Amino acid sequence: MFSRISSSFYRTAAWRLALRSTIAFAAISALVFFVMYSLVARTIRERTDSWLIGESETLKEVALTTPGDAVYGRIVGEVAEMATQEVAFNSHDNDASNTVFFYQDGEGGIPPLWVGPSGKAPFIASLRQLKVPERSAVFMTVPGWRLPFRVVADAVGPGRGRIYLGLQDTAARIMLTRLLWGFFLAWIFMVAFGYVIAVLSMRRTLKRVDAITGAAASIGTADLSSRVTSTEKPNDEIARLARTFNRMLDRISASVNQLQTLTDSVAHDMKSPLTSVRGRLEAALSTDDVNLSRELVAGAVESLDHLSEIVTTSLDVAEAEAGALRLRREPSDLADLIHRVAELYAPAFHERRQSLTTIAAKPVYALVDQRFIVRVLSNLLENELRYAGDGARIMVILGEMEEKAQIRVRDDGPGFPAELLAHVFQRFAKGDKSEGHGLGLAFVRAVALAHGGRAWVRNLDTPRGAEIVIEFPTFNAKETPISPQNDTLGRLSEPLAPEPRNDVIVTSS
Amino acid sequence: MRLLVVEDDHTIRDFLTRALGEAGFLVDACAKGAQAEHLALEGIHDAMVIDLTLPDMDGLDLIHRLRAQGVAAPVLILSARRSVDERVLGLDRGGDDYLTKPFAVAEVLARLRALLRRSTPNQPETTRLRVGDLELDLIRREAHRGGTELQLTQQEFALLEYLCRNAGRVVTRSMVLDHVWKMRFDTSTNIVDVHIHRLRNKVDRDSERPLIRTMRGVGYVLKD
Repeated sequence: MFSRISSSFYRTAAWRLALRSTIAFAAISALVFFVMYSLVARTIRERTDSWLIGESETLKEVALTTPGDAVYGRIVGEVAEMATQEVAFNSHDNDASNTVFFYQDGEGGIPPLWVGPSGKAPFIASLRQLKVPERSAVFMTVPGWRLPFRVVADAVGPGRGRIYLGLQDTAARIMLTRLLWGFFLAWIFMVAFGYVIAVLSMRRTLKRVDAITGAAASIGTADLSSRVTSTEKPNDEIARLARTFNRMLDRISASVNQLQTLTDSVAHDMKSPLTSVRGRLEAALSTDDVNLSRELVAGAVESLDHLSEIVTTSLDVAEAEAGALRLRREPSDLADLIHRVAELYAPAFHERRQSLTTIAAKPVYALVDQRFIVRVLSNLLENELRYAGDGARIMVILGEMEEKAQIRVRDDGPGFPAELLAHVFQRFAKGDKSEGHGLGLAFVRAVALAHGGRAWVRNLDTPRGAEIVIEFPTFNAKETPISPQNDTLGRLSEPLAPEPRNDVIVTSS
Repeated sequence: MRLLVVEDDHTIRDFLTRALGEAGFLVDACAKGAQAEHLALEGIHDAMVIDLTLPDMDGLDLIHRLRAQGVAAPVLILSARRSVDERVLGLDRGGDDYLTKPFAVAEVLARLRALLRRSTPNQPETTRLRVGDLELDLIRREAHRGGTELQLTQQEFALLEYLCRNAGRVVTRSMVLDHVWKMRFDTSTNIVDVHIHRLRNKVDRDSERPLIRTMRGVGYVLKD
């Protein structure tokens, strides 16, 4: 169901994300255009107004200086007509689309004077109704005319009435309409173009997310090899997601591989003893010799104990590696623990003509779960018993430096086989001559890590031998008082990789 | 002594019943928590063996309920759960001791005896142990076999003392490690065997009647 990335445009996040940003962009750009348009419109109106006011002043001068006789009407009328024609033709070539009117009301004995379009009645009615203030332009609508007029009024003088000058600036109006359309189209284009760009770039980005989805979808139970490619640039959130995803896959595939080896080893290590148990019990059932039968049953019980130990240790190692080992940590003297375990093992070493020396004179305290440390030490000594060889000299050295306690178990035996050295700490890793179950050192390392420490092995050159070192943080009672009952969950300080990388130092060539 | 065994796995229940019966206990066994509660409330049991995973209730809840109703008999918990927390919890909730599966029957017996000893005090502190012609002076830390003093190390004396205290009963390797070295871990190695071997060299070498015997697959027993 995931393998095919949906091609439906409306089911992508890209168009939704782009839509939101585009709506925001459209609103803001519309506002900007509106402000620009308003500014232009205002500038044009101001220009018209200043012309109207200037012209009305000129006409007022003419009206004042012309004697109020019979030719008054003609003189003022002609001047007004010249003025109106000036505007009518000034914006475009011979385009008389602008309409200008001049009106002097008849107060003060002079007959009313009208220069402008025929049919003056609605104009005069509107002027009367509007009560135009002096020396400032206002809009006036005239019945029968689509666009409003800008009108200024001026008092000519005492007893001479008022003059009105009006202008319907069609040219400016046309220009403004064009500007409005221009702005509108530009706005539509910008929004549409922006939206397309946004969708495309987001699609491009989200395609990389789809690539991750694709990689995840192609992971089957058997095949974990699929990875997200091109994770390098740009180094952004998605690249980080891809890298994290790849790392997660690496870890999963590592654990699966580990599980694979684990199950193989379990199959081998547990099936053989199970077979032997079954065989012995069957033989015990079929024999009439009571002593032989007891012997066989006893052997079977011993095999079962061995199996039981494998199970317990496997679980402990698995828990420790998963960071789920429950530790009951208390301040403990590692020197004391070493002495106790060494005491337990001393006769066994003696029996093999091996010598066991402990160098742990002064107490070194660490916050550890004693039961696990005892088992770790026991595992290490068992290891020496098995592999250091007859007559080997084994030393257990406890040291403290820089708030770290180090337990070194060193021998002068043959050392680790080269092919084993790199993965001695792996579960079920064991040498050809091993009699153990291959869990001992895995357990050692897991416990060390669970205690916030580490473990490593190396082969020694001069004198020849092998050394296993485990290291714990030391405990300082003054700094961190912790009640011994305090249960702490043992967390690994680092994730366990299937291949121990830094822990192995090869010193032999 | 009457015991109550609560265990839902019938194989384990059967062999426990048989082994405890052979060891001289009267045993009531049941598989379910409710039934066990009913039986335990009669107050006739000296100790109980309770498995933590029961079909109808959690073993820990059962113990808790019994304790709340005044049942004081000591409880030995059996569990396949293995984390320390579970163990501690088991003891906090009214359990007296625990054993994780798989366990040796000898160990069940030993722990039950220890529990019963604990619940019936007034035992005089022994200062001398005697098994056949072997004699241990616990105060002077000396051992004699047939009148001859044995040259034992402290460890060897502690091991011999433990065997003598359990004379006639089988002790497992884990029990020896736990009691003599205070280390609780299972080991399939022969580390305890080495100690037993050395001890036997000193105790039984000059005698015609060896006291320390190895029960292959189980452990050791010291008996006359």
